[in-house]
Amino acid sequence: MEEIKPTLVLEHVTKRFGGFTAVSDLSLQVRPGRVFGLIGPNGAGKTTTIRMIVNITAPDSGRIELFGQQMNTALQDRIGYLPEERGLYKKMKVGEQLRFFAELKDLRGPEADKRVDDWLKRLELSAWKDKRTKELSKGMQQKVQFITAVIHDPDLVILDEPFSGLDPVNVDLMKETILEQKAARKTIILSTHQMEIAEKLCDDVCMINRAHKVLDGRLREIRRSFSRNAVALQFAGGDGLLNDSSLVANVRQHDEGFEVLMAPGANPQALLKRLVDSGAVVTKFELVEPTLHDIFIEKVREAA
Amino acid sequence: MRKFFAVVKREYIQRVRTKFFVVATILGPLMMAAFTIVPALMFGIKAGGPTRIAIVDQTGKMYDRVARELTGDRSAPNNAPTQNPNQPPQLTGTPKERLNQGGNSIQGNFAVEEVRLGGRSLAEVRRELDARVTRKDLDGYIILPPNLLKDEQPEFSARNTADVFTQSRIENSISRAVRSQRLVENGIDEKRVEKMSEPVSLKTTGAGGKESKGESSFYLVFGLGLLIYMSVLLYGQFVLGAVIEEKETRIAEILFSSMRSFPLMMGKLIGVSFVALTQLGIWAMAFLGISVWAAGSSIAIPHISPVLFLYFVLYFLMGYFIYATVYAVVGSMVTTTQEGGQLALPVVLMLVAGFYLSFSIIRSPNSSLAFWASMFPFFAPITMLVRIVTETPPLWQILLSLAIEVATVVGLMWVASRIYRVGMLMTGKKASIPEVWRWVRQA
Repeated sequence: MEEIKPTLVLEHVTKRFGGFTAVSDLSLQVRPGRVFGLIGPNGAGKTTTIRMIVNITAPDSGRIELFGQQMNTALQDRIGYLPEERGLYKKMKVGEQLRFFAELKDLRGPEADKRVDDWLKRLELSAWKDKRTKELSKGMQQKVQFITAVIHDPDLVILDEPFSGLDPVNVDLMKETILEQKAARKTIILSTHQMEIAEKLCDDVCMINRAHKVLDGRLREIRRSFSRNAVALQFAGGDGLLNDSSLVANVRQHDEGFEVLMAPGANPQALLKRLVDSGAVVTKFELVEPTLHDIFIEKVREAA
Repeated sequence: MRKFFAVVKREYIQRVRTKFFVVATILGPLMMAAFTIVPALMFGIKAGGPTRIAIVDQTGKMYDRVARELTGDRSAPNNAPTQNPNQPPQLTGTPKERLNQGGNSIQGNFAVEEVRLGGRSLAEVRRELDARVTRKDLDGYIILPPNLLKDEQPEFSARNTADVFTQSRIENSISRAVRSQRLVENGIDEKRVEKMSEPVSLKTTGAGGKESKGESSFYLVFGLGLLIYMSVLLYGQFVLGAVIEEKETRIAEILFSSMRSFPLMMGKLIGVSFVALTQLGIWAMAFLGISVWAAGSSIAIPHISPVLFLYFVLYFLMGYFIYATVYAVVGSMVTTTQEGGQLALPVVLMLVAGFYLSFSIIRSPNSSLAFWASMFPFFAPITMLVRIVTETPPLWQILLSLAIEVATVVGLMWVASRIYRVGMLMTGKKASIPEVWRWVRQA
């Protein structure tokens, strides 16, 4: 693999609140220029982990290293953060608001003004620059909030549930923007409990459940390793073939056809050959990789 | 440090630009005036024309004197004609008497007429007068009994018996008339009676020789105390509202991801304090302008020395930072504005207590109560200022109280920043006192 230093390293990080352990012995690495998915159900410890990464709270034990340095306040300016709980000053005008948050990230002067204008244009909000924030719709406010996370051109962008509350058009716009950031060699941490979104956008994922890491790695490799030899099938004729237990372990029938889990050691090609030989008309034959959702459920069951 | 200034700038600009600030700046002084001056004037002003009074004189010799006393016409000692109710009161006599008449006319002067029994019974005359009062031909009548000079009680009947000012003036007038009559009847010359009855007027001077106007200095003390009380309360509430807003809308999370909590809290407190100073500055300029404008006229504007102004600003800032810091803590502990109002109530009561203590301190500014009240940091911003205006305490006391204030502010801010950092990120429920105590020790 690339000999590139990771953007972010967490080593054995633990955080407790009173008797409750929110994050337990978490270690992970985020590599530059990639979209890193931090996934898990609500209450798993995602937000607490992120708060430690952006230096809002400090871990009780363990180490956080960002851009090769021990975590410190100066590094905060190189992070952009879109928290799950959105917050903007309701009475401030959109332009002034963005200007203020830029200043909080040490970006000021004409450069700040220019970036405010550019971003408003990019997210189709230019007409709202002098409106008070409370006059904007929820979706628009969310886009404004997103701008506050990226306006200072941070090297690490952390997005906590960036798609919640957006309509389909804006979901696409947001995805596009995130991929642009990736293309600009920014590192992105995407926290979400929506596995389908993570599946489409992430290069690497880390799953956490009940404060513990259950899995991490490259998404593609994870899926391959979890491949359970499943096939999605659509065919007509060839009755009784799927009852052969030496080939098939389990069959689920649904509207679109069958989902077939092969018997251990059985080759899907052998099944296809048998189908064709029997004269069945095969309209769909697809090797299925498990979804993140399936993997997650399996991992959680394993741990229980 | 630049982020700190960004916070200060935001707080300042966003607040100074609001309509509320403009309106409060304009209406503030008017309300202050309303609170201090108007009640005094309201008592003094008597609406309508002169009070029409009939006098039934059963002694047969007292009418002239009583009428003279009531109408304030003392220039004609003997057999002065009854004043015609349709004529305005004549302004005669020495300037002092003229001033008295002026004062009387502000309080509402009297138009008197004599009603003789003329053979009718007293009851009959009473009925007739009652009828006239009911018809509003008359506002009231006085019956002087035959033995008035031997402590038989005169009687006053009027439509409005709640008007204590009119009653007390009538009582005083009859008393004076009776006194002079008794003196004359005991063989003392009328002229000498006049001379000996000349009232005394009190001249008030501050110890050390400088002349002060007792009344205007009272209003000054009261006004300054009220001003500190109201500004601290108003701007403390601003801080409370600002902190709750950031917590409620979760802006705190973004702010904390960009800067440390201490400069954030300080930026907020200092930004709002600049707003307050701007407002007070505008008021001070307006006051100065009015003073200069009024210098030539006779309107008494209390004199405020630069030193007093300095003390005022100092104690205002102390009061503001003490209370606003407490408000910031309260704001970070609660989840809604309503909860904030409840939790802030004891804080407000402290401020109110300080304000009410100042009334007692005005009367005895050197008592031990005054001393301790002006050393207690939550009262001192009002109480010490009141002492400075009424009877300036020794410098060491002022410096001691300022030192206590500064120490309190620093201590409060230290505690507050710890509570603020944890409280701002805690959501869902109001923090309990034991919890808050744990934050202070842990953080």
